[in-house]
Amino acid sequence: MSTYTKDQVKHLVEGSLDWDTTLRMLSMPKDKERFSLYLDVLQNKVSWDDRIVLPLSPHMYIVQQAKTKEWIVKCDCGHEFCDYRENWKLYANIYVRETEEAMSEVYPKLMAPDVSWQVYREYYCPSCGALHDVEAPTPWYPVIHDFEPDIEAFYQEWLDLPVPERAA
Amino acid sequence: MEPQTLSQVQVMGIDAGGTMTDTFFVRADGRFVVGKAQSNPEDESLAIFESSQDALKHWQRSVNDVYPELVTGVYSGTAMLNRVVQRKGLEVGLICNRGFEQIHSMGRAIQSYLGYALEERIHLNTHRYDEPLVPISRTRGVTERTDVQGEIVIELRENEVRKATRQLVEAGSKAIVICFLQSHKNATSELRARDICRDELKRHGVDIPVFASVDYYPSRKESHRMNTTVLEAYAAEPSRQTLKKVSDRFKKNGAHFDLRVMATHGGTISWKAKELARTIVSGPIGGVIGSKLLGEALGYDNIACSDIGGTSFDMALITKGNFAIASDPDMARLVLSLPLVAMDSVGAGAGSFVRLDPYSGAIKLGPDSAGYRVGTCWADSGLDTVSVSDCHVVLGYLNPDNFLGGAIKLDVERAREHLKAQIADPLGLKVEDAAAGVIELLDLSLRDYLRATISAKGYNPTEFVCFSYGGAGPVHTYGYTEGLHFKDVVVPAWAAGFSAFGCACADFEYRYDKSVDLALPHLASDDEKVDACKVIQTAWNQLATKVIDEFVINGFKPEDVILRPGFRMQYMGQLNDLEITSPVTAATTTDDWNQIVAAFENTYGRVYASSARSPELGFSVTTAIMRGLVTTQKPVLPEDPEDGPTPPDDAYLGARPFYRHKKWVEATVWKMEALRPGNHIVGPAIIESDSTTFVVPTGFETTLDKHRLFHLRETQNKSLQ
Repeated sequence: MSTYTKDQVKHLVEGSLDWDTTLRMLSMPKDKERFSLYLDVLQNKVSWDDRIVLPLSPHMYIVQQAKTKEWIVKCDCGHEFCDYRENWKLYANIYVRETEEAMSEVYPKLMAPDVSWQVYREYYCPSCGALHDVEAPTPWYPVIHDFEPDIEAFYQEWLDLPVPERAA
Repeated sequence: MEPQTLSQVQVMGIDAGGTMTDTFFVRADGRFVVGKAQSNPEDESLAIFESSQDALKHWQRSVNDVYPELVTGVYSGTAMLNRVVQRKGLEVGLICNRGFEQIHSMGRAIQSYLGYALEERIHLNTHRYDEPLVPISRTRGVTERTDVQGEIVIELRENEVRKATRQLVEAGSKAIVICFLQSHKNATSELRARDICRDELKRHGVDIPVFASVDYYPSRKESHRMNTTVLEAYAAEPSRQTLKKVSDRFKKNGAHFDLRVMATHGGTISWKAKELARTIVSGPIGGVIGSKLLGEALGYDNIACSDIGGTSFDMALITKGNFAIASDPDMARLVLSLPLVAMDSVGAGAGSFVRLDPYSGAIKLGPDSAGYRVGTCWADSGLDTVSVSDCHVVLGYLNPDNFLGGAIKLDVERAREHLKAQIADPLGLKVEDAAAGVIELLDLSLRDYLRATISAKGYNPTEFVCFSYGGAGPVHTYGYTEGLHFKDVVVPAWAAGFSAFGCACADFEYRYDKSVDLALPHLASDDEKVDACKVIQTAWNQLATKVIDEFVINGFKPEDVILRPGFRMQYMGQLNDLEITSPVTAATTTDDWNQIVAAFENTYGRVYASSARSPELGFSVTTAIMRGLVTTQKPVLPEDPEDGPTPPDDAYLGARPFYRHKKWVEATVWKMEALRPGNHIVGPAIIESDSTTFVVPTGFETTLDKHRLFHLRETQNKSLQ
């Protein structure tokens, strides 16, 4: 089994890891320590003290609040969205591209979808303005809840790690 | 000791690898020595010199003494390949059709996964485009179009060529490559562009070479043609300087021979050759050429060549005395239009890393390997992942004190500890059983691969003799041939230097190919046949001129050159063509055409089945080929009188514990060099030399013949028959 240093995982997160190592990581069975190393690297990048339980996207995490031990969804700027079981998108600023004009900002003319069939919904952090996600549904479609992780099973059965404490 | 001046040293073979430079010297009486030295990428000539000294000291002779007697010397090496892989070539500018500037970077999309293992080919996230040899910033498109029939549809805009030339020079180009669509069909525009480009360079007083693709590789498939021509400018010219340096050092040490280089088509060419790009891959080809020569001497015409080194297992088939040639292979993750001796490769070798899948517990071999660092058994390797060699050391296959003749001391305990922690303990096995499991897995996968490769081509292993060579070959020979029932299994005593030997066996041969488009129905008229002959003959004439020009550069007279025309042909509408050596030296008449067709149909019937022949489809000739060769000195096989089955006392080195099939046995250990022809050894036994180890386990026996070839047989299967 391959093992990697924390420094290599840091480069992986930054996108600056050399290709040979990246290819090896992609091709080989995943190393056992990877998740802990990954969390370490992410934890060092954020300014707050809450413990990261699971990363959700490049700038968004499920964290264990230091004081209350509650698990919440948090932006790396420190903005707190909601309980980890809820859909954080309902707490984000939303911009919907539903006109041809709005579409032409991101695509050349005639190369964007017809907005009567498909719109883009962009979800921004209300505090720092980071774009966390983009959906491309039909116009009437409800807000999609992407991911409802079973964190207990993930820690216990997949990672063989103790589940972080959680206040109900 | 016999008198050292007995016989002249005639032939030298060089295999300059990434880590070791091997040299191979052969005397007129067939005796040979192998030398090794650490490679020196800064000055290859130095490593060759040191390796030669190492080899010749076995004969107590010196380089200054031997170089002047040499009749021939052949070089093969990885320097050009490394230059390409590391993208350290010349800054080349490229002129192509306007609108097709990105073609070179896109590499037919296939270049994003060439050279990868299956898992990485089928997953998109591992695909990756290497940096192109020529960046977009040094690529210029010019308006021109020649259609697939070779008609000029849009005339070349000459002022655009002049402008492109000036811009490319300004962008720092040290050479300019020109490659237009369909130029193999009609070269007019491309040649015009070449002349204008040269004229423009001259007007500005710039002296850089210009390469037009049709002057080099007039074959269809523009990505291949463009890559190959770029390679010529990018890597071959710098390599020429390296070879000149090597040649100069030979001359300085009194050598009189002209250095030749192993080329992809299986012949050797001069370092002065115009088309040097075809020397990019040469090492593994040497083994195939050596096998062919050995097969001819021994009367075998079906041979499975197997070469196992530290990182890969390469195999090639020789059928009816011929090896196959692939016409558009890939090398160094580039599609190229070079004729290449067809080989199959799998990334598993003696140095492959061994790892456990932490989830399934399965043993995984490679694809990466320890290479020259051997394994954790070498304390200075800096490795902590176990390799196949570690398993060999633990099981008693390898002598820890005689690896590379004792140059590296191996630590059995260190290997044991790593194996225990990484493989044995997690699997709940004894260290020996874990190590034996790894070896069995490797042998099994190599054996399956060998069998699959042979049967996929429509043959059966029982029709073949298997040759096993490469530094690590003889350790694995029993394992990957067991139960396949080859007619014979042959291990040359010089297995480690076999590729260098093979290079020395190769003809001094140039080969040029040209695409042609000929399609004739089954029952063509006489006029059609004569016209077809005219097309082939015109191409042969063009190619013959190129071949003879090359020999003239090396001081040969045109009448010394033996020309062997050939062609590639297929049934119309089928996808695979076959390469045929032409039965006629010139094609003009109806009868010539009939003979050409008959030769194709014979080969087709032999390769596939005679019932599969389909003349009713008609015939297509896709390529005209011209090979030209001159006679050279080749190594002769050693020939010693037989000495009876009992090995001499001085060959016996002792015994050593050896683990296989769940038990330790005492294997007798023999010194390879001291064994005499006729000697018969029954396993368990280990035959050691400085450069290789030949393992003969229980259930196997071997005999050394008068040519110093070991023949390996299974005793158990024999008694069952």
